[in-house]
Amino acid sequence: MVRFKNRWFLVEFLPIPSNAKILSIPSTQSKPAAQLELDGRKIHSALKQSILANYGDVGWGAVALSLSVKYCSPTTNICIIRVGRDQHNIVWGALTLLDGLEDMKFIPNVVHVSGTIKHCQLAAIAHNRTVIARYRAMAKAPTTYQDSYETYLESSNREIEALQD
Amino acid sequence: MFYDLNIPIATTTSTTSSKKGKNKQIQPSNSPQFTNAQLIAINAHLDLLIHLGYTVVCFNQTVHKRVDPKTHVNALNELLEKLKPRQGILFLKRLSVILDEDSEKGFGLINANTSFFNSYDILSLIPTNQATFALACLTHTLPSPLTTHIISIPLTLPRFPFHLKHTLIRTAIKNGAVFEINYVGALGGESDSVLLEAGAADANGANGKRNWWAAAKELVRVTKGKGVIVSGGVVTQADLRAPRDVANLMTFLGLPQDIAHAACTSVPKSLILRAQTRKTYRAVFSEPTLVIPEGYSAPAQLPPTVTPDSSTTTSTAPTTAPPSSTQQVTSSSKQNKKRPREEDGVDSNQKQNPAGPSSDAQAQGGDKKKKRKKNKV
Repeated sequence: MVRFKNRWFLVEFLPIPSNAKILSIPSTQSKPAAQLELDGRKIHSALKQSILANYGDVGWGAVALSLSVKYCSPTTNICIIRVGRDQHNIVWGALTLLDGLEDMKFIPNVVHVSGTIKHCQLAAIAHNRTVIARYRAMAKAPTTYQDSYETYLESSNREIEALQD
Repeated sequence: MFYDLNIPIATTTSTTSSKKGKNKQIQPSNSPQFTNAQLIAINAHLDLLIHLGYTVVCFNQTVHKRVDPKTHVNALNELLEKLKPRQGILFLKRLSVILDEDSEKGFGLINANTSFFNSYDILSLIPTNQATFALACLTHTLPSPLTTHIISIPLTLPRFPFHLKHTLIRTAIKNGAVFEINYVGALGGESDSVLLEAGAADANGANGKRNWWAAAKELVRVTKGKGVIVSGGVVTQADLRAPRDVANLMTFLGLPQDIAHAACTSVPKSLILRAQTRKTYRAVFSEPTLVIPEGYSAPAQLPPTVTPDSSTTTSTAPTTAPPSSTQQVTSSSKQNKKRPREEDGVDSNQKQNPAGPSSDAQAQGGDKKKKRKKNKV
């Protein structure tokens, strides 16, 4: 059986002020930072540009049919991307070499790579929980406090679990 | 356990002292060299590194041409005191010296300055031409208190500066040195300012990127993937990448996947352990124990070769390098191959006696030779 195998990436985008360096950091934003609006289409086009720039038409041709951005969450800045197994290195490399969307710079951090959608979903749900826990710890709210994050978690869990291949 | 062995810290006083020239005597200043804003920025950078998964982090101070212990200040000691303490993260200090034509005669890495270099955990060299590269690979990788364990070749220069000779690289790897690839060049990011000033890195990001791919591939080809480590060299926060992403980039250089992953994990780990042996005699890892076979009776008179052995055991006693079973095997074999010799000036216990008369004799011999030449002319 020659089955078409995929790889599922769980990518986290960490936003960075564009001129933050190791010895100097821009003083607390003089203009309100343009929020990184994570959109599946924007990510797909940025990734396409990155593949075209680094691997050329050949690379894009190898990847194009199987590449798709399945899920995107603007709150926790994560994204699920599906690629064919034989070409996932190209997409992974292009993702690493990607450094920004429009004018906002970010660090792409591949959290999890898996062969099935199931484990990617589990990893995404676990990642969402840790990020929300981090937000809550920073806000120093008591653990049983019901806030808007709870509803967000539930809705995002439902969205993630609804993902189909 | 992911290692980032190159976090460049550019300090202000070190760059100004190199510009002012040799005539002015500058007292090493003890005033704080890092402003609060800089410390906040460095802490933010470290937070990102830890979030991405790095657990061992090495700060790198770069010096151009030569190291002068009188004027050079180890800024990293001060920095480590001021950073906020983090659980489970290991901080190391490293010094890099950029070598170019002026440094061929000598750049301060001599036995007399050993005590100064002991404040750094790892030493490294950045050669920029063929002669300094040969010097770095052959002389400076030999086991001693001054071994430079990392050789970092500038990868973003437009014309690859020198031909990588296979024999030189093989010798360096055999002696335990590693070659470093900084992944910041692949992203076209900004390099350390000292490197840019010294002409060891390309300022233009796009050109630097292309040169990086070519040069890094060549380096991987010559080393056959053996003594290669990957490190950051990242100045701008936006250029940081997670260690597995970096390992994936390395597979495009020709490194197989497991070796690419090892270049971020196990190779730097053994490098750090090996660098700790600078404080021991001749790269011996553990404290050697004298084993006397049964039925052996010691001779009445101790032969003269026994005394260097006893002095080496005392010099290696205070080491705190963690011994492991495999390392003991290799270190004992190293000890057998390189027996301590009395005229060896490396051992600090014996440095005074043989160094004195031998250097005098050499000086006298030199003078005599010079005198003879003058007479002939």
